[in-house]
Amino acid sequence: MSKELIRLKDVTMTFDDVTVLKDINIYFNDQEFLTLLGPSGCGKTTMLRIIGGFQTPTSGDVFFDGVRINDVPPYRRQVNTVFQKYALFPHLNVYENVAFGLRIPREVTGDNGKTEKVKLSREEIDSRVREMLEVVSLKGFENRSIASLSGGQQQRVAIARALVNRPKVLLLDEPLGALDMRLRKDMQQELKRIQQQMGITFINVTHDQEEALAMSDTVVVMNEGVIQQIGTPEDIYNEPKNAFVADFIGESNIVDGIMRADRVVEIFNRRFACLDGGFAKDEPVDVVIRPEDVDIVSETEGQLRGTVTSVTFKGVHYDTIVDFYGFKWLIQTTDYCPAGSRIGIRIDPDGFHVMKKSKYSGLYGDYSSYSEEYDEINDPTLLDVEEEGAGDEE
Amino acid sequence: MGKNRFGSRFLIGLCFLFLYLPILLLIFFSFNAGDSSAVWKGFSLHWYRELFHNRLVIESLATTLLVSLLATAIATAAGTFAAIGIYSLRKKWRDPVLVVNDLPMMNADIVTGVSLLLLFVAFFRGWGAIAAWLNSWQSLITFPTRLTLGLGTLLIAHVSFDIPYVILNVAPRLRQMDANLVEAAQDLGCTWIQAFFKVILPEIKPGIVSGALIAFTMSVDDFVISYFTAGSATQTLSMTIYGMTKKRVTPVVNAVSTLIFLAVLIILIINNIREARQAKLASKRASFEPVRENPRAERFRAWLSTPRGKLMRRAAAAVLCVVFVSTTVFLTAFTTSRPVVNVCSWGEYIDEDLIDEFEAKTGIRVNYQTTDSNETLYSLLSNGGADYDVVVPSDYMISQLIEEGMLEELDYSQIPNFEKIDSRFKNLPYDPENKYTVPYTWGTVGIIYNETMVDGEIDSWSALYDGEYAGQVLLINNSRDALGIALMYLGYSVNTTDEGQIREAYELIEDAARRGMFQGKVMDEVFQTMEGGNAAIATYYAGDYLSMLENNENLRFVVPKEGSNWFVDAMCVLKDAPNYDNAMKWINFIASTESNLRNMDYIWYASPNKEALEIYPAWYEEQYGEELDPEIYEIMAAPQEVLDRCEMYVCLPKATRKLYNDLWIKLGI
Repeated sequence: MSKELIRLKDVTMTFDDVTVLKDINIYFNDQEFLTLLGPSGCGKTTMLRIIGGFQTPTSGDVFFDGVRINDVPPYRRQVNTVFQKYALFPHLNVYENVAFGLRIPREVTGDNGKTEKVKLSREEIDSRVREMLEVVSLKGFENRSIASLSGGQQQRVAIARALVNRPKVLLLDEPLGALDMRLRKDMQQELKRIQQQMGITFINVTHDQEEALAMSDTVVVMNEGVIQQIGTPEDIYNEPKNAFVADFIGESNIVDGIMRADRVVEIFNRRFACLDGGFAKDEPVDVVIRPEDVDIVSETEGQLRGTVTSVTFKGVHYDTIVDFYGFKWLIQTTDYCPAGSRIGIRIDPDGFHVMKKSKYSGLYGDYSSYSEEYDEINDPTLLDVEEEGAGDEE
Repeated sequence: MGKNRFGSRFLIGLCFLFLYLPILLLIFFSFNAGDSSAVWKGFSLHWYRELFHNRLVIESLATTLLVSLLATAIATAAGTFAAIGIYSLRKKWRDPVLVVNDLPMMNADIVTGVSLLLLFVAFFRGWGAIAAWLNSWQSLITFPTRLTLGLGTLLIAHVSFDIPYVILNVAPRLRQMDANLVEAAQDLGCTWIQAFFKVILPEIKPGIVSGALIAFTMSVDDFVISYFTAGSATQTLSMTIYGMTKKRVTPVVNAVSTLIFLAVLIILIINNIREARQAKLASKRASFEPVRENPRAERFRAWLSTPRGKLMRRAAAAVLCVVFVSTTVFLTAFTTSRPVVNVCSWGEYIDEDLIDEFEAKTGIRVNYQTTDSNETLYSLLSNGGADYDVVVPSDYMISQLIEEGMLEELDYSQIPNFEKIDSRFKNLPYDPENKYTVPYTWGTVGIIYNETMVDGEIDSWSALYDGEYAGQVLLINNSRDALGIALMYLGYSVNTTDEGQIREAYELIEDAARRGMFQGKVMDEVFQTMEGGNAAIATYYAGDYLSMLENNENLRFVVPKEGSNWFVDAMCVLKDAPNYDNAMKWINFIASTESNLRNMDYIWYASPNKEALEIYPAWYEEQYGEELDPEIYEIMAAPQEVLDRCEMYVCLPKATRKLYNDLWIKLGI
């Protein structure tokens, strides 16, 4: 599981003076399900395209199994891609789409060091195509035209078309972006199942943090061409490295604080017990408090007191926005507090997560402008991302 | 509301009527048994039969098809790759390039035509030196030093104006194409070129096909650009039709236009059906909405991907290729294989059977072209783009051409029939030593009038200028004749160089014009107008009058008492004619008594062949079993006393020609 397969060393990518990737150093292990997560324009797709061979880094090297592959064209890489809108061939039926890669003669270097073109026999192609259609549960769809398939079925064809070539790595570029909510959830399971069944590396690109947390073994959070954090989904959620990660993964209230001592953090001029340590005395820090870690109590019992400014029913809980000294927090609780009421809150020591100051400090975590509408506008899945040119990032 | 809707429907109906009525009329009258485009005389396919026996039409149709097919093939390939190239540019560049691509389509055809002509002529001039240098330098290949406009330049021109249409049709398909398709193919193991054939090509095929169809129709349709770039030896169908309408819109024109209209209509319908189907598919595809395919189509699709289906598909493609190649080869052979002679004459100025006979006898192909006046001919020649061998200008133009060194001396040893030319027509002032010319026809200019529209007989040019027939007079649309007639009426010489006299003549015309005497300025349109009884008086040539008389027996002709112009049209050969010896053969053939008799009978212009002129009445009687009306014979071959009243044009000095030209432009009726 932990054999290193791909490594990017000091990879930098610039388009027209815009730096899309900055000194990226990362490796990908064999048989791992890894997700590149970040907002639009963070460089995640570019990284995928560099691995796929569609782009050559401006500087730095790409290694595959220890061999530098910067100049190896896509058709010679043991990597296949599932494209954003699947890029199925509309003029071919399902069977032919899947068989496409198998019908291209491949250059194979034999034991004697000679390279020759090898064409698969019709029987072999047929058995591999049918096998793969079974894996993606599309048996019986062989002669259907692409136009007659639903989005989810097209997605499966795209996966089958890529996997039938038995790549060592499957690249998935926002594979679920074009599907509706329910289908997306189903496909998450399905992808995970296929990955385990095939036993190969999946590198998935997404801006959907839920999807990333649900499917991945490893999540790579990126922003502005820089890797912010690499870790398991739990690490990323529970121990975000900076304000950006904390904000991007889940909901977070991020406030300025000062480490008064190990396990003592001060916010709003009040000291709280926490579990973090190892900071200098009186070091300014960012403090993350997840909305679900806050308990609402009566005003008198609270460690902090504030006024509820809005309440939204979310099914399991209420999204409650509370104003503390002009800073607005999001609190997720099953208790209903009407807007305008004064409340107090309590936070357990494990509810605080203290981070070092970073360039993202002060940018996130205040819910002053929070609204349903706002949330929706900023949902990247709803944006019709206009792809521009082959070279430009998203 | 209801009323409103009725109103708008009515307007739409009116619009369509306005658009299609002319075409419907044209189609209707193409089936007319009579030869009028106004009077229905019963249904007949006569004009279609005539059409397919008209060698000019068939030949130019072959040229048109050949050029269109080749141009379409080349432009489609070039345009497709260009579109792919443009598409792979960055957006910053792509859009401006597409705008640049649109420009030639918006550009006036005439500008495109003229600029291509200029380019070709400039290139040909430069090429002479390059070819000479290349030939002196090596002896492996001998490069021709003299290039002329022809099929090659026509093809280049068509390719160049077809390409933008292909790009225009292919580019949107590329834009619609998922940008990742090519990458997907590469990802699956294709090199770029494999991806092109396996993915891009099938994806943009509909665009390529409609681009090719539109390019083809554009090529078939084109007149203006072809007119400038085809040179003299080549003529497309639209150029032939244009030539035919110069004289009189015969129902043959209706028939050929009907066929063209139907052909283009069919191509457009096919294209539209295809595009509609594609658009439906594309919209479904974009919305990820499953398309219910009809089971027959699905079964067919499945069959196509079986080995058998694939074989059939390849076979069909191979058959198409073979058909295309063999059509091209056949058309090429048909249009270019034989030795040729290029002749430029006037419209309806020869019995076309003579051309066939000459070809059958000598194996030399005759490229027979027409133009409508000496002045047009002159500008064609001085442009340098024309490569005629034989031209048939009139007397005064001949002396101008000789003066400017544009004519080649004839080898009379190859023209024994020159002997038979009446000595009256030899050594005339325009060619005093008779080194350059063999006369073709001669005749007089006179007044043609409709006796039912005027009182009594007309015998003076005054009828053109007096108030009596205001709005009923057709002014001849050429400065030399119009001013010459006025000079004659005023009692001056038609060849005067006295500016005062010429201005006086001009004022006479201008004054008459101001008083509304003239219905319009016409050349060959005179046929239609006079035959249809739409004007009372015109001035034109005796021979043409006799042609009109066949269609309207109320017309009369007179050489007015003040005198008139008599003219000789003669065959000459241009300097550096590419087919000099063939030209000699042609001139000798036309100068024969037999040819002269036939021409005289067909075009009603008098022959300069002494024998032919003398025996014509007898020959006529033998042919038609009835006597030739001596009055007609006299109009055709004016007796000496009439000729004595007439004066021949001589070439005017340059300053006078400029004066003529300036005054004529100033008149601007």
